[in-house]
Amino acid sequence: MSYADKFESMKKGFDMGQAIAEADRCLLCHDAPCSKGCPADTDPASFIRKLRFRNVTGAIRTIKTNNILGGGCGVLCPTAELCEKECSATGIGQPIAIGKIQRFLIEHARETDFKVFAKADPRPEKVAVVGSGPGGLSCAAELAKDGYPVTIFEARPEPGGVLRYGVVSFRFDLDFLAAEIEDIRNLGVDFKCSSPIDGHKGAEDLLGDGYQAVFLAPGLWDAVQLKAAAEDIKGLYSSVQYLEGLRDGNLQSFAERIEDKTVAVIGGGSVAMDCVESAARLGAKDVYLVYRRSYTQMPAEAEERIDALQGGIHFLLLNQPVDYVVDENRCIKGLKLVRTALGDMDESGRRSPVNIEDSEWILGADVVIEAIGNKAEDQSPGWYPHVKLKEKNLIQTDPATGKTSVDGIFAGGDIVRGPALVVNAVQDGKVAARAIKAYLKQ
Amino acid sequence: MSSQPIDLSIEFCGKTFKNPFLLSSSPVSNSAEMVARSFDAGWSGVVFKTLNSDRLKITHPSPRMNAFHYGAKRVVGVQNVEQISDRPLKDNLVDFLYLKKRYPEHILISSIMGFSNDEWAYLAKVSEDNGADMLELNFSCPHMCIEGTGHHVGKAFDLIEKFTTTVKNTVSIPVIAKMTPNITDMTEPAIYAKNGGADAISAINTVSGISEVGLEDLVPKPNIFGIGAVSGTSGPAIKPIGLHFIADMAQCGELTLPLSGIGGIETWIDALEYILLGSSTIQVTTGIMHYGYRIVEDMIEGLSDFMVQRGVTKVSDLVGKALPNLKTTDHFALDRQGITRYDLDKCVGCGQCYIVCTDAGGQALEWGAEERRPKLIEDKCLSCMLCNFVCPVPELISFKEMPATWNREETQVMDKSLEREITLEPFTKEGSNECSC
Repeated sequence: MSYADKFESMKKGFDMGQAIAEADRCLLCHDAPCSKGCPADTDPASFIRKLRFRNVTGAIRTIKTNNILGGGCGVLCPTAELCEKECSATGIGQPIAIGKIQRFLIEHARETDFKVFAKADPRPEKVAVVGSGPGGLSCAAELAKDGYPVTIFEARPEPGGVLRYGVVSFRFDLDFLAAEIEDIRNLGVDFKCSSPIDGHKGAEDLLGDGYQAVFLAPGLWDAVQLKAAAEDIKGLYSSVQYLEGLRDGNLQSFAERIEDKTVAVIGGGSVAMDCVESAARLGAKDVYLVYRRSYTQMPAEAEERIDALQGGIHFLLLNQPVDYVVDENRCIKGLKLVRTALGDMDESGRRSPVNIEDSEWILGADVVIEAIGNKAEDQSPGWYPHVKLKEKNLIQTDPATGKTSVDGIFAGGDIVRGPALVVNAVQDGKVAARAIKAYLKQ
Repeated sequence: MSSQPIDLSIEFCGKTFKNPFLLSSSPVSNSAEMVARSFDAGWSGVVFKTLNSDRLKITHPSPRMNAFHYGAKRVVGVQNVEQISDRPLKDNLVDFLYLKKRYPEHILISSIMGFSNDEWAYLAKVSEDNGADMLELNFSCPHMCIEGTGHHVGKAFDLIEKFTTTVKNTVSIPVIAKMTPNITDMTEPAIYAKNGGADAISAINTVSGISEVGLEDLVPKPNIFGIGAVSGTSGPAIKPIGLHFIADMAQCGELTLPLSGIGGIETWIDALEYILLGSSTIQVTTGIMHYGYRIVEDMIEGLSDFMVQRGVTKVSDLVGKALPNLKTTDHFALDRQGITRYDLDKCVGCGQCYIVCTDAGGQALEWGAEERRPKLIEDKCLSCMLCNFVCPVPELISFKEMPATWNREETQVMDKSLEREITLEPFTKEGSNECSC
């Protein structure tokens, strides 16, 4: 089996029988809490009810109308923390598997070639979207549905943003992504890939270049690092470099570096889980997940954590990495860790880790991946110098409209929120698209 | 609770059945090999698949059945266009001999259907001669294509009496007449059968129905190469119809024949309901089509435990026990009224009660959006119990009787907000709308 084979596709989803059985369990709530639990207003209560009453095409229409990336959200959303968390059926057993039903319906639409949207009559006002991640795609689709010509500028060679370069294929495969993007392309959205908006005022200049409005959704592509000035350490990667590398043709070289080696991943979120699981699949001898807090405090979904544990990942909890261990050639040899204990509550509502004195120890590792967060690219403020920023080079917007301080420029997704979910970016795209339409009709 | 197996035996037409559970005449009783396995599983007897006299070759349509699913629940009904046995008479009779030899304590009932008076006599005779303990006269198969057979007979009452008389004059074993439900009053044909000498009545055969229409080809199912047909529907969906006819016959003072109940029985509870409404034995096909012979194990255990819990020692003591409580609707005590009672500690907040009360009940619930709980306006509750039907939590909603002094609020004629826009004169005899013609 080639390395690529190990990364081919996602676990199989529901079939029609499973989806119907699950929809039959739904309590069909009045004023349904699940729908209130969706950040992108995908309205699971409606599409499940439609499936329950065999209005399968209507169910698909509900998803696609409310959330153009409904398939992707069905796969990637931490549903246990969103719609399913609110599910009334939990009171008598298990919540309805809403994400799985949602994914099924979108896959069913593809299998049956059911198209929700017809091309709208074209309108004259052109809109530019910067970034083809979930925020950009959502905004572009929402505008294109009403006939606005939209061009998406994407710096990387292929569209999808974090959906392509920030997630492993066994979590979200490229065929699935391609189908989601195809739906958006079919609306008439124009994709310009390998087209970075660099240079001073690059994004702002789009306004004078034939576009009447601009939506900024470039995402966060610089890695947060444990310590500064570590760029030259060999065998130390950020999750951004690592996951992007798996997708952009460097899978083989990563595999060679990881096979039969010891890999340590720092972090406790979904990205860290992607990193450990993929390292295990690439044949690492041992994979450690190093996390400074406790198991239940991890941001990763319970299912992801369990999958990782079952996949043989060693969880090193309550351990704070404090330094890298390198040899004379600046090759990574391990991590210096300090044991922690949980102290008082911090602002996140979780008990915060406190380092235990004299508990330092060294974990040997041949490869270390840091999955401790992404931040705005250092040069990003230069692309839109007049747009007002807030902390960490994030863009300041009106949350109700996505409007920035510059007339005609809107923004959404992680560049506004900081690290957030795909579904949040989808909603930002929708909100901004509505505001852009209102702005263009002025 | 007793660990001793309790005696479920019951007398029916002078024969002792070790329990009341029989296979009905159908695909599940098509051969001795099948029936033998059912006996091993625990069934006490069989009504063998209706014999054919070889005068006419039987070819079953293909496909011969269609299932009626409800949501994720599969096979709540089956529609079946299978005809009587397609096996040579001799093969069936050899099977009779085999079964009686190997299972002498089990009851073998031969189902017969003649295409003429002589043929009824002939099939009755060969059945008796080859070991059948009883006969069941199939007056009710709803998909025989030949005039003068199946349920065509069951709807022509004089033929029921005539063929029953013929059979009774031919054999000395007990004779059961099987009724079609595709009529309004079953006591009438049952009395014709009694007048012809029938010793018992079995009911119901399948209900004429159409289970499904193919949306691609617009052919009702089962789709026999482009053609569908009205045919027999069976299974849990038809249990209410079967219970009704059994109870009617059990309460008929003129009939007074033992009854064998059939229709939608899958569990010991279904079986017990048929017994409580007057059946001495019960017969099963669709439950077996869906789950196999093994379901009898749960019927035996369930009925046994029920009897132990209730201190009942004989199944016959249960027969017809619910009939004194079954009256016509004019016997209801309308001066006694009640409402629903909610145990909201158990509520999961789905709000289905609110939806059905608002759209199909008395608009007696208010919805607390914050706490996601219904609030009952007692004076408006109709006690329709719809809320209870849809509530996913067992025993959250129950019925309670209200004091005699309590009065239900009358339903508003119309939303007051509409009153301004229209004037109307209520229709009364004295009013201006009185008909003058």
